[in-house]
Amino acid sequence: MKTIKVLAVLTLFITLNSCTKDDDVQPQFQIETNTVTNLHAPQIGGIDQMGNPQPISGEFTKFDFSSGSITTSATEWDIAFRATSIIINGGVSFESTDEPERSGNAAAYMATGTMDMVNAVNTSLLEQDSVNGYVLSDWYTYAGPPTHLISPTAGKILVIRTRDGKYAKVEILSYYKDAPENPDAFADEERYYTFNFVYQPNEGETSFNN
Amino acid sequence: MHLKSLVISFFIFSSLSNAQVRLKDTVVEQKLDEVILTATRTYRQLSSLPLPAQIVKQEEIMAMNSMRLTDILNEQPGLVTVSEFVGGAGIQMQGLDAQYTLILIDGVPLIGRSAGTLDISRISVGNIKQIEIVKGASSSLYGNKALGGVINIITNKPKTDFHGKLFYRYGTFNTHDTSLNASFKNDNFSWSLFLNRNSSDGYQFPNAANLNTVDPYSNYTLNSKLGFDLTSKTTIFVSGRYYIQDQIYAPTLEEKGEINISEWNAHLKVEHHFNTKLSGDLELYATRYKADEYLNSIENDSLFSKSDYNELLLRPELKGIYKPSDKSTVIAGVGLTHESLDRTDFSTKPIFNSPYIFAQYDGKPKKNLNLILGVRFDSHNEYASQWSPKAAIRFKLNDHLALKGSVGYGFKAPDFRQLYFDYTNGFVGYTILGYNTVVTRIPELEAQGQISNIVVPISEYEDRLNPENSVAYNFGITFDPISTLQFELNLFKNNIHDLIDTRLIANKTNGQNVYSYYNVKDVYTEGLEFNSSWKPSNTLKFSLGYQLLFAKDKAAEDAFAKGEVFARLSPNSPAFQLDEDDYFGLYNRSRHMINLKVFYNYEPWKLKSNIRVNYRSKYGLFDTNSNDYLDRYDEFIEGYMIWNWAVNKRINKHYDMGIGIDNIFDFKDPPSSSNDFLFIGNIPGRIIYAKFNIQL
Repeated sequence: MKTIKVLAVLTLFITLNSCTKDDDVQPQFQIETNTVTNLHAPQIGGIDQMGNPQPISGEFTKFDFSSGSITTSATEWDIAFRATSIIINGGVSFESTDEPERSGNAAAYMATGTMDMVNAVNTSLLEQDSVNGYVLSDWYTYAGPPTHLISPTAGKILVIRTRDGKYAKVEILSYYKDAPENPDAFADEERYYTFNFVYQPNEGETSFNN
Repeated sequence: MHLKSLVISFFIFSSLSNAQVRLKDTVVEQKLDEVILTATRTYRQLSSLPLPAQIVKQEEIMAMNSMRLTDILNEQPGLVTVSEFVGGAGIQMQGLDAQYTLILIDGVPLIGRSAGTLDISRISVGNIKQIEIVKGASSSLYGNKALGGVINIITNKPKTDFHGKLFYRYGTFNTHDTSLNASFKNDNFSWSLFLNRNSSDGYQFPNAANLNTVDPYSNYTLNSKLGFDLTSKTTIFVSGRYYIQDQIYAPTLEEKGEINISEWNAHLKVEHHFNTKLSGDLELYATRYKADEYLNSIENDSLFSKSDYNELLLRPELKGIYKPSDKSTVIAGVGLTHESLDRTDFSTKPIFNSPYIFAQYDGKPKKNLNLILGVRFDSHNEYASQWSPKAAIRFKLNDHLALKGSVGYGFKAPDFRQLYFDYTNGFVGYTILGYNTVVTRIPELEAQGQISNIVVPISEYEDRLNPENSVAYNFGITFDPISTLQFELNLFKNNIHDLIDTRLIANKTNGQNVYSYYNVKDVYTEGLEFNSSWKPSNTLKFSLGYQLLFAKDKAAEDAFAKGEVFARLSPNSPAFQLDEDDYFGLYNRSRHMINLKVFYNYEPWKLKSNIRVNYRSKYGLFDTNSNDYLDRYDEFIEGYMIWNWAVNKRINKHYDMGIGIDNIFDFKDPPSSSNDFLFIGNIPGRIIYAKFNIQL
């Protein structure tokens, strides 16, 4: 573990150096493109088998863009998932049970386009979670009967300012375990997110182009 | 090669010369026969009508050995039977959904559209004289629901003396159909009776145990009519109809129940001829439709759910017909439609009252010119009143060629459900409210702490909901080069506004939503219909029908044009952008439909045979790639063709028998797995049957 850190710092140092030397621009980190598979986002409650609504609760599964992985940290997270709900680490609570405290300054908006089309952040659209609801709520389509599938709506990109002022964009690909080719709402396990994301690690940089 | 062309030219030549010999009487016969009542509400020659219309005659119904109205209409050009998820088979006409076509029996409407669509498989064809189909908006004569067109079922009229007929057909799926027709007529009295029993074991696709395949059913239809000539100038007509059906209801493997439907209608009409120019009639009509269903849990035999539907329609109407000369006819009428509904999941017991008045001029200002002008006004206690004008013109260029065109307005009033529904789904917890229910129900739900957020302010529900309305354009050419050959081409366009759809109006604290209805969509359907028939001889007839259709939502077209629509190749792959060409159109619409029929009589053996082919090109059933639109990357029901064959033999004056195969090549598209919802539910596969007729 230590070795890796040292290596990382070294690489960083070399990159920084070479950049300054070559063309006199600001230090640059490489933009990261990644896929996250099977991020499990369970929930307690909801509609029971008799069709009656039960109180919803349960821990949100928190995600940190800088490490590209889920985290249990109380503060070092950017977005968090519970069933179809996605919250950001910024703004105020929608007052649902077990929401983690928002300590960061994250903000977000839903963009329309493909991953490639969303090549820069329009900061004027950024909003934070509020008592009116979550910013990132309109990402899926519920098919209703007969399939009852929950599918990430094609052309919906989640654009996020992280808790510490960096930017990321996310395309959710599946809500079912192992992102099946032909999901079956009755057979496949739900609440497993698969998504692509692009992280711009340079603070304040709104472009997703290298 | 030579031989072949020789044979063909001989064939054509001989049929042409045949045609010329018989020219005179064929023309006369056709013109006498093909009289249509529906298009103008007066008896009119079909061939000279300025509107797109068709007649299906008893002869064709008998030749095809049809049992229900669905069977016969599904084989007409430009019409297709569409079944909806919640029961019922209706007819799509000029690309408009089944709920936009008015269905009449002897000129009065059938009711019972519990989920929007009238189930026309309810209607037995055993006593039908002819089916009249008028395409294009016809609200100028019929008011509500005549937005796409009108289908009027004309039942048999008694012929002089006593007649009796027994019909029986047995076929695949243990389907029995038995009809009895009896009638009597003398100088001033007529009576007829029709009895029908239809039953079937239904069918089930292996992977669709709990979906809309057909559950076993049995039904009875009784219709009796009386006619008196009170004086030489006054006639009275009375008709009563009763229909009852019991069907097993098994929507899932856990529950089982029954649906019981009953319907009656009573129709009284008094006609009086004041003089040779003026006549009038008074019509009183009442009909009731009831559907009661229940479901029991199979495990412990306890009641799981129960729902009732009870609709009543009353309609008095007074109409006058004035014929100042042979060249023109003026009709005018006034009436009132009263409807009420008592239904589970309704906030109130709603009542609709709609007085109306209409007038129409049908005349020949010049020898080759026919003009129809009509208008109707419908007032209503629950939605905006409607003016429905119509104009049609036909210009005869010569004996072979005529042009016709029409413009008309049509509307469909919001139905009871769209105004008064108050339903919460027991499984999932969402709520659907009728438009008029929102103002009172949302505050109630809010007070109960069920609402977390209101998306659409209640103030938007203070105005009335608009009827769905359409302006329809039809332009046609008829061409009869010789008396045995006919071509007809009709271009159509229906611009539909204020289509009613559902939208989310509030979020509930249980994580579900409240939905209600609103006027939103502008859609259009346009295309062309081509019909031709050729009778090379007295014993052979070909007919060909084709419809080209584009049915699109204007907002969807815009969204595609602006590049706002995206798709994925598979559910888990990244999205890409779509363009205008990728938009397919509305669901359940096929771009191409073709039907071809060949009727052949072999006189020496008294055999009548026919082969009919129906083709329907691919269509989408629902959005399969989660972008809310039907685009080329969605999964479609592939195009298909169905071949039907029938042969009937006359044994003697009293006996007929016949056999036939519907869907000869056993086409079907059942679900491939329990997770496959893209399948055809109303085509069960090959049906083999035999029938016999006894005439007295």
